[in-house]
Amino acid sequence: MELQDEFYNNPEYIETASGNKVSRQSVLCGSQNIVINGKTIIMTDCVIRGDLANVRIGRHCVISKRAVIRPPFKKFSKGVAFFPLHIGDHVFVEEDSIVNAAQVGSFVHIGKNCVIGRRCVLKDCCAIADNTVLPPETVVPPFTVFSGSPGSFTSELPECTQDMMIDVTMNYYQHFKPIGKGKERHK
Amino acid sequence: MSKAESRSSVKITPGAVVCDECELVGDITIEYYWFTGARTVIHPKARIVAEDGPIIIGENNIIEELEDIKTRKASRYDNCTLFTRGVHSDGKVGRNVELTSGCIVGAMCSVTSNEALTENSIIYGSECDRRIQRERPPAQGLQIDFLTKILPNYHYLKKPKAGTPQRAT
Repeated sequence: MELQDEFYNNPEYIETASGNKVSRQSVLCGSQNIVINGKTIIMTDCVIRGDLANVRIGRHCVISKRAVIRPPFKKFSKGVAFFPLHIGDHVFVEEDSIVNAAQVGSFVHIGKNCVIGRRCVLKDCCAIADNTVLPPETVVPPFTVFSGSPGSFTSELPECTQDMMIDVTMNYYQHFKPIGKGKERHK
Repeated sequence: MSKAESRSSVKITPGAVVCDECELVGDITIEYYWFTGARTVIHPKARIVAEDGPIIIGENNIIEELEDIKTRKASRYDNCTLFTRGVHSDGKVGRNVELTSGCIVGAMCSVTSNEALTENSIIYGSECDRRIQRERPPAQGLQIDFLTKILPNYHYLKKPKAGTPQRAT
């Protein structure tokens, strides 16, 4: 299936040398602690909290509108520490989701309106259905779908999940096109 | 002084950490009692709108990003975290609900009835089930300490009004 072109207002986004497209309306706190590896799309009104700890996002990820990416914290007997948050490649986070995970593997799909609790670990090739609430410290194994509130295992994913996610995220990037005049060159 | 402050009466007691990127509209008081060790942290992009009456944000609160508080009449929040649809409180809390101390409203849960929740009650799960917790949830003082230390490094803060006594460091 061919994706439809999705157009964005050119001046609204900044395209970096490595191909990241980051909305000017997104909030990147502590930008010196945020690493985005390339060809990742960060849409309007996203919040990425680099001020709390380092955030690393891989290649070809899509962070949709109003999603919140914030590093998790853990309480120790002496104070609180925030942990760095790593997100792998080809990860799709849909609108209004909150990702408070410690680690998100590659080829992961997170649906709309999800809350990924603090210090969850999402392994490679898993999916979280829309409106799921994952309780803190949940581990989502590879090739599973979690849904519900509190989130629990509902079904398995096929072995081709990796290729499907690569397909989806790369297509999405290719079909995410600017409209109107911007400062960047259009290839 | 930022725009939001000038068009409304926002009172921030010295020592509260209120990031400049959040939106405060209407009559809001953010209290902070240095001497009792109680404090409030408001993350960037939180939105607090006092439409029908003043909002008083008491001690020991953490209000996180994209949180949206609209007024109920003279609401007062004490000792709770208002997480982004996340952990302690919020989901949705309706207009006439009074959150007492130790209440936890789980992620994506909503309370819209007209009542005061009993202390230490928890609302959880997809059906918004309720139960009363035996012991109080642990205080989040440590987390607040950490945030008070780290947030000023990265954000401009809303300043308390001139004339209010500054805290001794």
